[in-house]
This record gives sequence, C-alpha cells and structure tokens, in this order.
Amino acid sequence: MRLENKRLAKGMGMDKESKKGTDRECGEGRAAEGIIGRLRAVLKYHKTGLELMKIAHKVDSAAIPLRIINSVLQVTGTYLTLYLTAEFIDTLLAGRFSEGFFRGCAVVLTGLFLGVAAKLVEKAYGKSAQRCSLAFEVMMREKAATLDYETMEQPGVSEKIFKSERIAGMYGGLGSVVNNYQGLLTGILEIGTAVGLIGVLCFSSPSEEGFLLAFAARPAVSVILVLVFLALTMVIRASGNARMVKATGKYLQDHAGMELQLTYLLSRVMMNLQAAKVIRIYDMKGMLMDNMDRWWEKNNQFYGNMCDMEIKGTLNGNLTNGFFTVFSYLFVAVKVLSGAVTIGAFTQYAGAMMKLSGGFQGAAWYNTQIKLANDYMTDFLELMKMENGHVAGSIPVEKRLDGEYEIAFQDVSFRYPGSEEMILKHVNCKIKMKDKLALVGENGAGKTTFVKLLCRLYEPTEGVITLNGIDIRKYREEEYRELFGVVFQDFKLFAFPMWQNLVTSYERDDARIRDCLERAGAAEFAGKLPEGMDTLLFKDREGGVDISGGEAQKLALARALYKDAPFVVLDEPTAALDPISEAQVYAGFHEMVRDKTSIYISHRMSSCRFCDDIVVFRNGEIAERGSHEELLEKQGHYAKMWHAQAKYYVNKEGC
Amino acid sequence: MKEAEMKELKRYPIWSNCLYTFRALRREEGTRAFAVCVGDTLCSVLLPFLEAAMAGAAAACLVSGKAPWVRLLMVAGYILLLQGVRFLQGNLKELRNKLFFLFRIDITREFERKTLEMDIQSLESAGGRKKWEAAQRNLYMGNGAGIEAYAKSYWDMLANLGGLAVYGVIVGRESGFLLAFLVLQTFIVTGFHLLAARRTYGMEEEIEDIWKEFRYLRRESILPGNGKDIRLYRMDRWFPEAMRESIRKICALIDREENGYMAAGMGNRLLTFARSAVVYGWLIREMLLGSLGLPAFLLYVGIVAGFEAWVRGFLEAVINIFSNEKIMKSYRDFMDYGIVEEGKPAPGKQGKPHEIRLEHVTFRYEGSREDTIQDLSLTIRAGEKLALVGRNGAGKTTLIKLLCGLYRPSSGKIYLDGQDMQTLSQREIFREFAVVFQEVFAFSFPLSENVSCAQAGTEDGERLRRCLEKAGLWERVQALPKKAGTSMNQDMDKEGVTLSGGELQKMMLARALYKDAPVVILDEPTAALDPIAESEMYEKYDGMIRGKTAVFISHRLSSTRFCDRILFMEQGRILQEGSHESLMKQGGAYAELFALQARYYQKA
Repeated sequence: MRLENKRLAKGMGMDKESKKGTDRECGEGRAAEGIIGRLRAVLKYHKTGLELMKIAHKVDSAAIPLRIINSVLQVTGTYLTLYLTAEFIDTLLAGRFSEGFFRGCAVVLTGLFLGVAAKLVEKAYGKSAQRCSLAFEVMMREKAATLDYETMEQPGVSEKIFKSERIAGMYGGLGSVVNNYQGLLTGILEIGTAVGLIGVLCFSSPSEEGFLLAFAARPAVSVILVLVFLALTMVIRASGNARMVKATGKYLQDHAGMELQLTYLLSRVMMNLQAAKVIRIYDMKGMLMDNMDRWWEKNNQFYGNMCDMEIKGTLNGNLTNGFFTVFSYLFVAVKVLSGAVTIGAFTQYAGAMMKLSGGFQGAAWYNTQIKLANDYMTDFLELMKMENGHVAGSIPVEKRLDGEYEIAFQDVSFRYPGSEEMILKHVNCKIKMKDKLALVGENGAGKTTFVKLLCRLYEPTEGVITLNGIDIRKYREEEYRELFGVVFQDFKLFAFPMWQNLVTSYERDDARIRDCLERAGAAEFAGKLPEGMDTLLFKDREGGVDISGGEAQKLALARALYKDAPFVVLDEPTAALDPISEAQVYAGFHEMVRDKTSIYISHRMSSCRFCDDIVVFRNGEIAERGSHEELLEKQGHYAKMWHAQAKYYVNKEGC
Repeated sequence: MKEAEMKELKRYPIWSNCLYTFRALRREEGTRAFAVCVGDTLCSVLLPFLEAAMAGAAAACLVSGKAPWVRLLMVAGYILLLQGVRFLQGNLKELRNKLFFLFRIDITREFERKTLEMDIQSLESAGGRKKWEAAQRNLYMGNGAGIEAYAKSYWDMLANLGGLAVYGVIVGRESGFLLAFLVLQTFIVTGFHLLAARRTYGMEEEIEDIWKEFRYLRRESILPGNGKDIRLYRMDRWFPEAMRESIRKICALIDREENGYMAAGMGNRLLTFARSAVVYGWLIREMLLGSLGLPAFLLYVGIVAGFEAWVRGFLEAVINIFSNEKIMKSYRDFMDYGIVEEGKPAPGKQGKPHEIRLEHVTFRYEGSREDTIQDLSLTIRAGEKLALVGRNGAGKTTLIKLLCGLYRPSSGKIYLDGQDMQTLSQREIFREFAVVFQEVFAFSFPLSENVSCAQAGTEDGERLRRCLEKAGLWERVQALPKKAGTSMNQDMDKEGVTLSGGELQKMMLARALYKDAPVVILDEPTAALDPIAESEMYEKYDGMIRGKTAVFISHRLSSTRFCDRILFMEQGRILQEGSHESLMKQGGAYAELFALQARYYQKA
C-alpha cells in the first residue's frame, strides 16, 4: 500500500515526502509504568480516528469494505505463496521434477490471481483517498461559511484552516486516515497468520539428536526464544519510536507554519506584480534578499534537523530489524539442521518470522500514524465543532415590497475583539425609510465600522441595533443579509466569468444583468470584453483578462444593483473613477437607488450634495447630522471639511 | 504548448540539462554529494542481488553436508553480510535523499534573485508570467517533481542499469536462451509501460490547469478580506459548489491516468506468469539433466524474478527523467529570460533635478490590439511641477511608467538630461525616481523597512521621523505596539498590525519622501485620504517637492492648482496643456472636466 501522496502534495511548498514501508521506525509503547494511562491515551486517539473514518465513509461508502477485502486478499496471497513454495522446493529436492514443475506453476498462478484480484479491488477504491482529501477541504470551507464573520476574521482561524490543509497535503489528510486503518488491519492479519505458522514451527520437534543446538529446537525452548527476541526487538523499537513521535509531532506544526510563510513570500512578494514595481524603483532587492536569507537560514537548519531526525529513525529501524532478522534466520536454520522441519520449509518459516516482525512493525507504524493524524487533525475537528459566536436568530424577515424598513442604532458602542480602543461610542442613529444618507468623517472615525455593524458582520459590544423595532439578532441571519447590497471600500471580485460575479449563483438572467451594467456605467467596457459576459476576470485562471480598478469598481456597483436589496450601501464607490465616470454615478445615483434606502460613504464631499441626510462621524461619535445647508450654517466640523475641499474649486474668478 | 514556445525550449537538449543539473549539484553541495550517490548506487545494485540469492544460498548451506555447526555459521555469515549491506544502503539512501532535498532548497535562492532582478516589462508580459509559473514548478512542487526528482532519477537509472547488467551476465553465463527470452520480455513490458506513460505525459498540463483552478477556489473562499463579500452576496454556497465541480474534474482525469497504468499492469502480470512457466520449465529440465543443483536453481529463480524489478525501475527512472525534462527546460528558459543589463553606465547629473524628454513615443502592451500611448512628444523641464489628468484608460499610469524607465517605448525615444534612457543602467535610472503608485499595500515586514527600504536597524531614525511627520503618520506610528518596528499585516508576524487604506497611503508617501530622489511621481496619492488629510497634504506638497521635478496624477482636479503645467491626456495623446488658468480660459476638455467636478462644490 502506498500513500497516494503523489497528487496530494501539490502546490508550492518545500515538501518532504512522507515515507512508509517496513523499514520505517515504529513500535508500540509498552513501558511498564503508566500502562493504564497509555491505554487511555490510545483509546482516545482511536476515538478521534474512528470519528474521521466515519466522515470518510460518508464521502465514499464503498471504500472501507473494499479495503478490507483487499487486505484479506493480500495477506492470503502472501501466505499461500509461502506455503506452496515450501512444498515446491521440497518436491524438487526429492527429485520429483514433473510434479515440481506443476507445483511451481501453482505458486505463480496463486500469486497471479490473488494479485490481480487485489489490484482490481484497489482500483475500485483507489480514487476514494483522493476524493476524501479534497472533500475534507470543501467541508472545512462549508463550515467556515456558516461561521460568523467576526469569528472568521480573527487571525488565528483562517491560518488554522490553511495550516490544517498544509499539513494534510504534506503528511496525508483524511484520505490517509483510512489508509492507516487499512494498514493496521493488514498488520494485524499478518500477525495472526504468522503466529499460526510460527506456532507450527515452534512445536515441530527436532528429530536428529547429536546436534548440540538441538535443544534450541525443542518446542518449549523455541517458544521462549521467539517470545524473548520478539519482545526485545519491540522494546528497542518502541523507545526509538516514542522519541520520533514526539519530535515529529512538534515539527509537523512548525513545518506547516514555515510553508505558509514561504507561500506568502512567493505569491505576495516575489510574483506580485504590484509589488514588483515598488521593489525595483526603491531598490528593495537587497533588503528582500536579506530578509529571505534570514528566513532561509532558520529554515535550512530546520529542514536539516528534520532530515537528520528521519535518518536517525531509519537507522534505528534498520538496526532493530537486522537484529531480529539475524535471529530469525538462525533460529529457522537450527530447526532445519535439527530435522524439525524440511529444507524446503526454510524459506517458508523464515518468511513467516519476517512477517511476524513486519506485522508488528506495520501495525505499530500505522498506529503511530493514526496518533499523529489525531494531533494534526485536531485543528480540523475543532473547526468542525466550532460554534458560532453569534446567536442564531430565528425570526424570518418580513418581505416588504414597499421597502418600509427602519433601522435604529440604540446607544451602540463597539470595539474590535482583542482591541482596547472603542471605535464607536454611544451611537444613536435612526435610518429613516427611503433615506439617502451620507456618512462623512476622517479615516478611522467609524464609518465603515458602522456599516459592518449594520450588516451584522459584527455585533455591538454595547447597545442594540433594531430593524422595525426588533433586535436584529433575533432575525435569521441569512434573511437579514438579504436586505443589504453593499459595495465595500475593499470589495472583492473573483476569477469567475463576469456574469457570475454579478449574479453570484448559477441562475442567469441576461436582461437583468445588462440593465445593472448599464446603470453602473459598466456597459461600455463590458461590451469590449473578449467574450462578453462570459469573460473570466483576472489572470489567476487560464484565459482570464485583467481589468482596471475603475472597471472593477463599476462591476462591484453592478453587483450591488443586481441584488436589488432594499438597503444599498456604497463605501467610496468612486474612489478609482475619473471625474466623468464619477459624475455619471452621481447623476445616475437617484435612478439607481430610487425606491431604496441608501447610505453613501465618501471622502468626496461633493457627494453630500445629493444626499438628503448627512451624518458626521468624529472619533466614533456622531458629531453632527442634518442636510448640507443646515450643517454649513452650523459652521462645525462638517463645514470645516467641506471648505477644505471646496476651496480649490471656488475661487475669485468664480470658476 | 504553442509552436514558438516549443522552439524556444529546443535550446535545451537533454544532455545539456543533465550537465547543468550536476554542475549545480557540485556547486551547491560539493563533491561529497557524488560520493554518497555512487555509494548508494553500488549498494542498490548489490543488495537486491544478495536478497535474490538468499534462498539459494541458504539451501546451499543447509544441504552442503558439512557439520551442523559449520552449516549454521555459513548461514549466519550470509545473513550478517546481507544485513550489513542493507543497513549501509538504507543509510546512504537517506543521506542521498537529504542531499537532494537541500539541493533543491539551495537552488531556490538563485530563482528568487532572478525574479527580483528581472526587468519588469518581461516579468509582467504574458510570456514572462507563464515562464515564471512553469519555472517555479521546478522547485516548489515537493520531492516528486522538479530538479530534485530529475537529479535523483539519473542515479536511479544508473543503479537499475547496473543491476540489469549484473543479472544479465549471471543469466547469460548459464544460458543464452534464457537471457534472450528475458530480453524479449523486457521489451514487451517496456512497450506497455511507455504507452501508459505517454498518455499521462500528455495530460500533465491539463491536470495542472484544473489544479490551479482548485487552488484558487480553495484559497479565496476563506481568505480574510473576502469574507464580507462572500457573506453579503451568498457566495458561501457558490464556492463549495465550484470546488466540488473542480474535484469531479480532477478525479475524472486521474481515473483516466490510472486506467492506462492498470491495463499495462495487467498485461505485465500475464506475461510474468508466462515467463515464470517457461523459466521453471527450463530450469527443472536442467535439474533433470543433472546439470543444475537445487541451490543454483533457487538462485536463478530469484534472479529471474528480480530481473523484472530492474526493468521496471529503469523504466520508471527514464520516465521520471523525461517528465521532469520539460520542467527543467522551462526553468532554464526563465533563468535566461529578460533583458540583460550588464555594464550600462549611470545617468549623469545624479541627484540633480532632471529634464525628461519624450520624442515620438509609442507604447503598446503585449497582446493588446491598440497603442496605449500614441506618438507622444513631451519635454518636462528640470524642476517643473506637472499634473496629468484624463479619464481612466487615457494612459496616465502607462506614461509615468515610461518616464521612470520601468517600461521601454515600443518606438520613439526617451531622454534623461539628453541621454537615451535605453543606453543607461536601469537600476541607476531608478535611483533618480521616487514613485507612489496607485496600489496601496504594505510588505509584511516592519514599518521602518517599508519606508526606508533597508534592513531594520540600518535606517536613519531622524530622517524616518521627519518623513513620517511630513506624511502625517508619525502620531499613528508612535501609538503602535513596537512603534516603527511593528510588522505590517499578520502573515509573517502574528503581532503585526494592519493599517487602514488612508494610513497606508501616508506610509507610501513617507517612503517616497525618505528616498529624497530628484524626480517625484505621485499617482493618486490622496484617493483614500479624508478631506482634512488631503488638504494638509496639498499644503505640504510644495515643501515636499521643492527643488525637484514632480509629476502628479489625480482625479481630483483640485490638486492641479499646485502644478506649473497641466497635461490633459486622452487615448494616449496629449489633448491640451497649460496652466490651470490658461486651460480654463481656453475652454475645451479640461475646462469641462473641471466644471463637472466643481459643480457640486459651488453654491447651487
């Protein structure tokens, strides 16, 4: 059984191939002290392992039964071959050549049939490991999507997901959990069959006396010898293995972390075309190479240690294996020399001894892998069990065709999780129905935060936000979000066909799409795209086209319009647009948001002219509110900001 | 792969890649590496032989008719030899793996350096990007692909050849017929294998494309920053669905791949059976005739069985070499790509305000159907303050990239103080420019490094403070946990801080100020600033660019007040130029644009 790692380990990364096979260091901890404790620990990680198996089974229900069949076939094949070979050799020794020939063919035929059968079965479940691993990633994302924004935005969370996947990709994820259990099963089966054969071996009594070592061939002595050497081997292996496991567990996490950093350096620094201009103009190559050097030094050491550790592990494994192998062969030789078994049986029993040791080794190794998987899959399982920070609401939102929704902030204060600073302080604000609201204020005054709270991406630290009088937390979250069409300052479009970016599902309504493009001022450039609405955006995928910042902004606008939600929020929607496009947006604004309640955030005070109601934020509080004329008269903060910008457009010449 | 690309790659024949790889190996890892490889290869040949001969040797010892003790010792001796070689081989193999792994890591340094040094036009071009992507596969796809696997495969091939030779000799000495038969079988097996491999080989690129798609979806669906839009536009259902679709495609492709190998495997097994029957028959006949004893019989059975393993190993090694051959070629192609900059002189008058003159400059982006800059002639006087205005897509950003030497004109010339920029060292030209580009971002390094562009600790603290103050960022920096030593973003340092768009814009301005270069270019430097901050910037602007040549791009026409001359661009040409007053008097495009924007600021 190979770990189907070939495809799983793709992606940028300094991967070290996970190694397996009978040479691998392994062993079950069998120290005398704390046996109960160890047993409990073993049970615990098998519980996790079985949990993971259940998940894998859901992905592909045929896989596990098929794998069991495969194991049985493999083990049967091996032993049958061993047994038949022994008979074959003895026949030849006895000079019965024609019989020998047929026996020889029997050996090969058995090998052929069982081998082919096992291969066919393997083919049947072959893809499932791959599918499991990929499904595992989809699962994590589906879960992530159900988590509220606030939880997801915490820096640890998405890193946890990326790390889980990194580790899974490098060391085998969900797919290999099933592999490991199969390996464990095979190991146990091999032990079982081997014990049978070895039992026969041990209990066959010597016939030729006069051989000094014949006593070693006596049943009782044989059994003791075998047990003693087996135990010795396993203890030596176990201690080496315990050390390995501890070290491996630790470096798994570190390794994944480093790969993530490498990925950052590669994609955001090295191949980031935006960064490339800056790097060249500012001659940052020296600094970057220095940073990379320092990173490399640290990691070279790490990788070197990792390799050395693996080498030591293999050395250890080879030594103990060698030890047992020498004993096995000598033991069987003694049995043969003392006439307890035939020469033909030499290979058979020697083989069985190797299988016994190998079986224990395999079982222990796979068991270790299961334990390791438990460690690094904990992140995954934790994520799957993660609770939403937000209390799930249950009231459906009233669908009103007249757009009569009223939202009110009641004494709302907010600070970001992990931060001391209050971004919003005692904000009281009623958003009147069909209002055209403008939010102005300095950077960091709280405008965008206000919007995030409005959409329930975050929840207020103090105070309550209500919709038509009811606390918004009581509503079903997805339905509540349906009320908002938002273009954020840092909006994102994705490398999908252009129309999918607008529609965000698979139901396509071309007329409606065209209408929204028109209203957003994007119809012209959309027409010029090589494949029209089907054009892939961005160069992340084959065949995509780059679009400029301004064009992207218009598409984001079209997306918000397409959603046709009763609240429209635009956060700096014209930042990247030239004056003519900006004027188009302003002119079309009323048309765009005709029956809707709208909130417009912009640093361009000119936009306040077409909003009925202006809210001025300052240091997290609402400093002023009113119409443009009212606020100018007050000559307060708003007036100050207005004049700061207007003075360049109004001069003595009266332009 | 297209015709032109394939032709380019023909420059790198297989023997040249082999030499290149092993020269690199010697350079990075020393001659010790070769000693380890040779040792490992020798052991790899010896060990299987010993193992194959095990049954025969044991039988030989046991039937030898000598005293039991002697027989036992003989068996012991053989076993110890076998274990010894196995142990040695295991060690050497591990050592070899470590060696090649570290080798690959060491090669990445030169790749990174090349990426950072390549001229930007080549890097940005579609061809350049494709080459980069193909090249990075040489290094970042794990142990199984790329230069590491390539180098290893040569040694594996050698070992398998060695094994084949040894076995061939052994079998040949016994029977020429047997050898011939085995060779025939080898060819047939090879045929099957190659057919399957060729199928896989052709699918590599297709598989890679689908993986790219999957990886994109995988990353974007949970990238912080995407969360808001994903939730508000119900993309949380869409992404997983798209991912599942990708998975389906991947599985289907892999299935096809495996089917090929499956069929080959079946064919091989049947052949093995046939071969075994023939061999057993032959050998038993020999035994019957008395010319072969049991130990020899077992030896030959073992050897014949092992023969196939060598053949398979040899084939796999050769297939590996060929599949990585493509990647190696792409890698070398990338490393040789780009414009060579050796030995060009620095511009004269370094550090002094420059005059930049464009003569009939035309520029077209690679793969575009139209010129972005059309026959543009312009002289920017030393110390002049210029403003560029125009609609999106007029060519303003492209123009400044030409001005500072990032791009080369498709036709026409650009002179820096009378010297043709193409004859000067690009790196030295860059020294004369400080540019604030439109895209707002920070490297995930300490803030001081982002501003000073030098290693933390080597910057001029006083200068840093002055520039941060001028940019309006000083107070904010003082409030950060580690002040100017705070890391930006949280990718590399969990305790990093993410600055807002406006703050980042100020930081980028501070960077330009710190550099103190004689030509300053600002592309939309106030887009994310609030009115007060913007106004403050305009006030300070004069002070910032005193004595320098400056170019200012902005959609906010208010900024043009501070410039000596305004250029109105449209579709790659200069439509109008002059001071603000003269352009307003003239009427025309600029005046219209200004009025459009000013309208909202004027009394109704």
